Amino acid sequence: MKDSTIHKLIISSLVVIVTIVVAVLMYFGYDYYSIPLEERHFHPLNQSMKASGIIGHGLGIVGSLLILLGVFTYMLRKRLRFFSRMGILKHWLEFHIFFCTLGPVLILFHTTFKFGGIVAVSFWSMVAVFLSGIVGRYIYLQIPRSIEGRELTLREMEDQIAEMNKQLRQSVILDESIYEITYFSPNDLVKQEGYWKKRKQEKAVLRRLRSELKRQQIPANKSVQIVQTFKDELSLKKRIDRLMTMQKLFAYWHVAHLPFALIMLVVMVIHIFVALTFGYKWIF
Amino acid sequence: MNIVQKTLAIVCILLLSLNGVAQISPGDLAKVHAHLEGMSNCTQCHTLGSKVSNEKCLECHKEIKTRVGESKGFHASAKIKNKECTVCHSDHYGRNYDIVHLQKEKFDHNDTGYNLEGKHGKKDCRDCHKKENITDVQLRKKQETYLGLSDLCVTCHEDIHKKTLSNNCQNCHTVEAFKPALKFDHARAKYQLKGKHTDVACLKCHPLLFREGKNLQQFTGLAFQNCVNCHKDPHENKFGQNCVQCHSEESFKKTKVSGQFDHSKTGYNLIGRHIQVACKLCHKVSITTPVKHEKCTDCHSDYHKGQILKDGKVANCSDCHDLTGFTTFSYSTEQHNLSKFKLEGAHLATPCFDCHKKGKDWNFKQVGAKCVDCHQDIHLHFIDSKYYGDSSCQACHGVFGWNDINFDHRLTSFVLEGKHATTSCRKCHFVTKGNAGLEQKFKNLDASCEKCHVDIHQGQFKKEGGSVCVKCHSFDNWKPDQFNHDTTRFKLDGGHKNVPCLKCHKVVSSENKIFINYKFKDILCATCHLR
Repeated sequence: MKDSTIHKLIISSLVVIVTIVVAVLMYFGYDYYSIPLEERHFHPLNQSMKASGIIGHGLGIVGSLLILLGVFTYMLRKRLRFFSRMGILKHWLEFHIFFCTLGPVLILFHTTFKFGGIVAVSFWSMVAVFLSGIVGRYIYLQIPRSIEGRELTLREMEDQIAEMNKQLRQSVILDESIYEITYFSPNDLVKQEGYWKKRKQEKAVLRRLRSELKRQQIPANKSVQIVQTFKDELSLKKRIDRLMTMQKLFAYWHVAHLPFALIMLVVMVIHIFVALTFGYKWIF
Repeated sequence: MNIVQKTLAIVCILLLSLNGVAQISPGDLAKVHAHLEGMSNCTQCHTLGSKVSNEKCLECHKEIKTRVGESKGFHASAKIKNKECTVCHSDHYGRNYDIVHLQKEKFDHNDTGYNLEGKHGKKDCRDCHKKENITDVQLRKKQETYLGLSDLCVTCHEDIHKKTLSNNCQNCHTVEAFKPALKFDHARAKYQLKGKHTDVACLKCHPLLFREGKNLQQFTGLAFQNCVNCHKDPHENKFGQNCVQCHSEESFKKTKVSGQFDHSKTGYNLIGRHIQVACKLCHKVSITTPVKHEKCTDCHSDYHKGQILKDGKVANCSDCHDLTGFTTFSYSTEQHNLSKFKLEGAHLATPCFDCHKKGKDWNFKQVGAKCVDCHQDIHLHFIDSKYYGDSSCQACHGVFGWNDINFDHRLTSFVLEGKHATTSCRKCHFVTKGNAGLEQKFKNLDASCEKCHVDIHQGQFKKEGGSVCVKCHSFDNWKPDQFNHDTTRFKLDGGHKNVPCLKCHKVVSSENKIFINYKFKDILCATCHLR
């Protein structure tokens, strides 16, 4: 089995795990979580599902541990030279995302959807971190990286584009029209102002390319490969075009993502401290 | 400033800004605990290291602590006692959280130690659990408290008896209905209801008073020692006030006159046998119905059926009888002697019934004065009526006994002389006739001596079919006083005068008969001397 397939399977599994956890908790807890706060205490599930209950408290502890695991492993991998060669950073990021998605989900159920007090700061910080993580993930994808996840230099990117062009030419004997489309249009598209206009033009170019390939009776598999290579090239060009912006955004994003994470962690520690102080020790 | 420094600065700013807003509290406290909001108050309820302890709760909720300590109320019930307070009364569920959360439908009031029964079960909680019914001032201040009520009915109900009775209403009333007081048992009262008293309407004895602007039925403080406390004394205290000596609760008219009843006060003193007679025998209708008592016959039937008369009227029993009983009587011989028939002789010793009771009934009126009215004339047809008239026994007999005979035998042809005068009549007039017993014979009696006497001379002097005893014997005795040997053919002379009779008149035996021989064939000397 190819590595990419295994990777896809693992990613899919992680998504399924998160989905199942959410589904199971909602299935069993919906009745409890959906009633007003004032009535929770009288619900039969309250004793186990409340934040200090055997399940609710467990969710909080497990969720917190997952978040800590997800945050610190990723941080260590990223920031310590000692771990820098351990695995692919992209995979670490994926596990970071998995843990820091499943963790907040469990935390969310731990809160029993009750958001008050200082711990709410932690919670909303967590939400902010989570949402910013999604944004960050988008920004992250906008910055072309090596297979290890290292940011590519502009030169490396341009080399990649040249390589793609080379691949396109070598794969089929392109006539003038196709060459023109594949060679010039990306630059034109990138320069185009306005997002929707750009999207529209992009689609028009792709249509033209496909019809041209069809007209020249290029075999289907070749045709798909050409279109994909063209898309990759186009994407890369767009990224190069946005690289500066994204690199700037990513720097700012760190300022948002990390502080919220820290707030979350600090308040979480306070929350845990307070809980322990008042004797809420779960099963211990 | 690097990214880490920036981040820390932001975190600090955020935390400081959030400090005032966001507490460590996991949520708002319920309205009643709202005053405990704030970080400084956490330990008011929470114990460090051991969640929320009951002690902390009870430090504030002293009223609950007190009740649990006294093992009273819902929180002291087995269902609740050892539970953590927070199991039922948690908090931090928001201001609107109903921390008491009383579920009226599910709440079992029995757990409070006060069972809701009867009408109580149909009432709304707040019908009873309201401020007006709470006596404790501190508890009354509490909003929506369910404490403060006592088990006493008067806590919620008006004491219509105005503290004149015990405050334990359930001694008499049920929880089903105040009226009627089904559990009331007059037997538990100092005064026991018996007989007709059980049917009397309560109000008859327990009057309605007017107190404090309301009616108050008086159940206590009533005098009941004497019947006259309620009843009017129709005897006007003639018999004292201890009515129960005679009357019972069954009925005023039905009495149970006891030995202690002084009948003399009725105007008729009970004496003698009357004392033992059951009241009912005289007081047939009821003891209080007047009874005629002037005459004995007012109660007693005239046993003699009007036979006893006095001055032409039926005599009163007391003329003869006293109160010791009818079998004894005071009718004296003297009184009897004033009657037509004087009691004399044996009649004095004769029981009355011999004359006055013929058969079953007594007869005083027409007993008859003749002897034969009582006595049988045994001589009828045996004695000639010319001797005793119309069965007049007295012609012969005296009243001292039938042997008291004073018949003048001279009236007959046979005059009694000598020993005959003292000889019992029977010797001559009653003859034994074999197995038939005695047979009286008065008429046609043979006057010859042999008829009565045995001829011991064996007919030696028999002459012309009969003996002539009187030639030798007198009536005084059998000695031959009348006999003179000189008048016989053998005159006694000389030595013969001194010779005992038996020398000549020997005892002989002939035909199995022994007798003295007086008759000789001849009077020759040899007849005696040559033998």
